[in-house]
Amino acid sequence: MLFNSLEFAIFFPIVATMYFVLPQRLRTLHLLVSSCVFYMAFIPAYILILALTIVIDYTAGLYLEKATGRARVWLLAVSVIATCLVLFVFKYFFFVVNNVIGFAGLFGWQLSGPSIEIILPIGLSFHTFQSLSYVIEVYRGRQRAELNFVTYATYVMFFPQLVAGPIERPQNLLHQFYERHEFDYVRVTAGLKRMAWGFFKKLVIADRLALYVNDVYANPQNFNGLQLTLATIFFAYQIYCDFSGYSDIAIGSARVLGFKLMENFDKPYHALTISEFWRRWHISLSTWFRDYIYIPLGGSRFGERRHFASLLVTFGISGLWHGANWTYVFWGLLNAIYLIAGSISKDARNRAFGLIGMTEGTWARRLVMWASTFLLTCIGWIFFRANTMADAWYILTHLAIGWDFERISTEQFLLRQMPIAIAGIALLEIVQLLQNRVSISAILARLPLAPRWAVYASAIIATVLFGIFRKTQFIYFQF
Amino acid sequence: MLEKAGIARPMGRNEPEERGGAAKGELSEAPHGVARLACFAGVVLLLAILLDALITCGLRQINTSSFGVWNRIVDGKINADILISGSSRALTHYDPRIIEERTGLTAFNIGLNGSQTDMQVARLKTYLRHNKKPLLLIQNLDLFSFQTTHGGVYDPGQYVAYLEEPAIYAALARIDPNVWKARVVPLYGYAAEDLRFSWISGAMGFFGWNPPEDHFLGFRPRYSAWTEDFERLKAMNPEGVRFEIEAEGVSQMEELLSLCKDQAIKVLLVYSPEYMEMQALTTNRPQIFKRFDELTHRFGAPVWDYSSSPTSARRENFYNSQHLNAEGAMTFSNDLAERLAADPVLGRPSVRSYSKGKSS
Repeated sequence: MLFNSLEFAIFFPIVATMYFVLPQRLRTLHLLVSSCVFYMAFIPAYILILALTIVIDYTAGLYLEKATGRARVWLLAVSVIATCLVLFVFKYFFFVVNNVIGFAGLFGWQLSGPSIEIILPIGLSFHTFQSLSYVIEVYRGRQRAELNFVTYATYVMFFPQLVAGPIERPQNLLHQFYERHEFDYVRVTAGLKRMAWGFFKKLVIADRLALYVNDVYANPQNFNGLQLTLATIFFAYQIYCDFSGYSDIAIGSARVLGFKLMENFDKPYHALTISEFWRRWHISLSTWFRDYIYIPLGGSRFGERRHFASLLVTFGISGLWHGANWTYVFWGLLNAIYLIAGSISKDARNRAFGLIGMTEGTWARRLVMWASTFLLTCIGWIFFRANTMADAWYILTHLAIGWDFERISTEQFLLRQMPIAIAGIALLEIVQLLQNRVSISAILARLPLAPRWAVYASAIIATVLFGIFRKTQFIYFQF
Repeated sequence: MLEKAGIARPMGRNEPEERGGAAKGELSEAPHGVARLACFAGVVLLLAILLDALITCGLRQINTSSFGVWNRIVDGKINADILISGSSRALTHYDPRIIEERTGLTAFNIGLNGSQTDMQVARLKTYLRHNKKPLLLIQNLDLFSFQTTHGGVYDPGQYVAYLEEPAIYAALARIDPNVWKARVVPLYGYAAEDLRFSWISGAMGFFGWNPPEDHFLGFRPRYSAWTEDFERLKAMNPEGVRFEIEAEGVSQMEELLSLCKDQAIKVLLVYSPEYMEMQALTTNRPQIFKRFDELTHRFGAPVWDYSSSPTSARRENFYNSQHLNAEGAMTFSNDLAERLAADPVLGRPSVRSYSKGKSS
């Protein structure tokens, strides 16, 4: 079930109402059943795959807590391998097979792959990581094994964050299923407002920009440099608004029910360095990789070489997590290279800035740092979005070629969409800039009821009328 | 037992007791909060209903351009003797003003941009529901005449204000079973289906605004120069292109011809000019035209094929391989109108009913 669908608009109020009406002992079960309904709206049979990973990790958690010595290590290994095997089969099997066939072809061996079709279960990468997080934390002794199967299953399947995160830690989410959450008007309306903001980002901005990006990136050779540049910048905002919009809806809907999920984005395009960008972008995934891959590999504790190697491995895996394509792996490695280069050149850059009078904290320096970070990020997005490495290279090398201001629109993205797209991005940036300085909610709350409701109603109607409702799922669903 | 099985564990000291509902004190706040939310939702729904009605009403008031044509169809203000039907090639090729002048009969063009035969039939049925049946229907033929709509109609927003028309709704429902949402859920059709902001036109139309007129008795001339689309098409299809003949598409065409036969409407099938390089690129052209001939034999509707006309040979007459520009359309319309006027069957005095004053 998509968040941006009529079905969800009916599903969520019913689920929320029943949640508050039901006695406490039935609420978690109700959330589990609702989450099953939510998930089965995609491909019903795939709930069996989810059930399998839940049973594996629930059982592993119970035995891990009781086991000692090497048995604990073996149990953890079995659980991790079994869980990852499910992910491998559905997500990476054909990627590996095709690469083996390609590699064999270099030696003149003609191999052929199996003629079956495997459809990736939606959200597999997300709930797999959430399950892994649980068993690892139990292994480390930082989380007690959950004895209640219904509670554990709901922790994995909690519908607001089931298919695209935020990837929660058991320490944050599990105990909340034991807390009593009552209907609180202020909290519920705060959650609804968060959801509304998420819908605005997704429907008005992300799905509108997608019309342009999809046309250009499908056949980049048919478009001029201006269109390629616009499509790349648009994609940067598309993926941000799509994913952060989803996170807002997830966090908001959980908030309505009384649950607090972790924040997943913190204005990433306001970052001044790549390092800062990764502290602001997809925070739940970044911290997952930091805690379970980067730090165990050594992180920055064992010298520069180990540090750089850890970065390359972590970001390479991160790229692969996003998709079974070399373009994603390249994107991940490119970001690692950015971080390595940034680390190596830090002193040199500081000296260079000093020489031209751009001392730390000056607006000029901040502007240069922001622009260069955004540029490097966009270059990375080219590889992330392009269908092939060849397409990505073509786009990168043709961004500045053949600009034609009379040829801006595409088949799907008529010129009339441009003012709305620009206005949407502008509104997004204004709101984000104001967020640190003023509380928009507080200002609105001070208005009398009628004008306050008029503002909220107008915002909802405007989102509906300016939104794009073509059957577009969230980008991160495919991961 | 559940504890022994390890499925449940006893509640700890810090876990909330099960109380079966809200705590005291909170109980009275919840209904008030729910009532406020329900009230707000009601306000939004009411606004949506009112806005939907305003937009629909506004679109139905527009007198010009494409919505003007739709409104004239459903208001029964056309009643032409000669009706032209078809896709965008009909819309941009046939100038009823020229046909009227040459034949002395009233004419109107209900060609539908971006449409397949299924939606053309729906538009024709809607026309016949509200207007006097024409003496002659000129149905433009295309290479894709035997294809139905897949993956959604072109410019779905144009239909939202007319979903009460049975033929339109039935045709859309065949293509998209979810079309009922556009009828039942306020603003759904204008929000979910419309990328061209027809709702803005509707809102402005409610206050008397009309777009600039670009349709003349339903005909829409295109004042465009040759685009590069055909060169790109050739580059992407070096082996040629093929237009599938779908059973349902054939059925739709037969339905159109049967409908006219039942209502004693003469039908003329016309393959209007197509740039000849495109003709050469189409690999199954003979099979498609063979099907056109079969229709002629079964329904007695003659086919006038302009593929080899001088108009088709000159690139200057086209803005892309399928569509005549304004100048090409004028040339073609003149040729067609003269031929119509001179045709012994179609131009017979008994067919003429000079009522030029009715056309507008």
